[in-house]
Amino acid sequence: MSNHGAGQAHAGAPAAGSAGSAGNAENTEYRVAHLIEHLAAGHLGELGVRVEVRGESVQLTGTVASAQCREEILGMVREELAGVPVHSDILVAENSAPGHAEELS
Amino acid sequence: MIRVAAVGDIHMGPESKGALRPAFESLPECADVLLLAGDLTRHGTTEEARVVAQEVQDLGVPVVAVLGNHDHHDERPDEVAAVLEDSGTRVLEGRGTVLGVGDIRVGVAGTKGFGGGFVGRSAGEFGELLMKEFVRCSRRCADALRRALEELDGQGCDVRIALTHYSPVPETLAGEPLEIYPFLGSYLLAEAIDTAGADLAVHGHAHAGTEHGMTSGGVKVRNVAQPVIGQAFRVYHLPVREPLPAGASGPAPD
Repeated sequence: MSNHGAGQAHAGAPAAGSAGSAGNAENTEYRVAHLIEHLAAGHLGELGVRVEVRGESVQLTGTVASAQCREEILGMVREELAGVPVHSDILVAENSAPGHAEELS
Repeated sequence: MIRVAAVGDIHMGPESKGALRPAFESLPECADVLLLAGDLTRHGTTEEARVVAQEVQDLGVPVVAVLGNHDHHDERPDEVAAVLEDSGTRVLEGRGTVLGVGDIRVGVAGTKGFGGGFVGRSAGEFGELLMKEFVRCSRRCADALRRALEELDGQGCDVRIALTHYSPVPETLAGEPLEIYPFLGSYLLAEAIDTAGADLAVHGHAHAGTEHGMTSGGVKVRNVAQPVIGQAFRVYHLPVREPLPAGASGPAPD
């Protein structure tokens, strides 16, 4: 994964003095920002998953086309956000036919 | 009444081959046409387009599509469109097509559309060349949509549908972060639809949006992105207006 290094570079940045905890929080934000960029521009081409920082953890939401697609996304997330607790609510699209129609007036 | 099936954002690739086919095979029982509102592939490759083509080939109902931003990602949208056209799908970009449903002439005008935002919160044609080109691109799409809808009117269509990938209205984006609305649609599309007239506008693109909306001119808008509708497609029963007798000017106002 060619983008992996860019995401990890921020994880390795040292935090100094009293700014330490703020620096760590910022660090997660930038890692998430880079993850979002890589999900979209990388080989997954995924723009439909929302990645949001929730306190010390990260939440994933959205609907993707297949279970394989979801696994690929989770793989990239685990790699780029190593050490950050991740909660995934990614759904796979429902492919059933509708049971009724909407009547437009 | 005609029965319009629609879905967008199916994002197909080799891994999802065949996933929608069982539901699509039920279309002749419940719909007269299938509209595909863009983002049919994940990356816009011809390999992915072939998966889509097989999914919608020989369904027994006409299939009309526009491409989405994902279908442009590999920078060969013409090839993606050609693969779909070869399978019998009509791919629209700035033009319309007329379908015969019994005695009813159904016109569909399509464009991918583009972003720019909505009234009071939209990008302007000003400043850097890239910024101006961004807005001009959206304007070109909207102008072509308006012309296509007007041509369909001239061809005597009983029903006209505007098919886009990007949204013409903000209502169907509800659920998406407000900050990204300018990347999800443009009021220029709604203005084109209201100027030329249409009976229904269908779009995709906004996965976290809402199905129902309306232009300020009163045209119903439906966001059929698959994550929004939660099914293989939606079906809308669209009434066909009785033609006005010669010399009539329409119903009297209340």
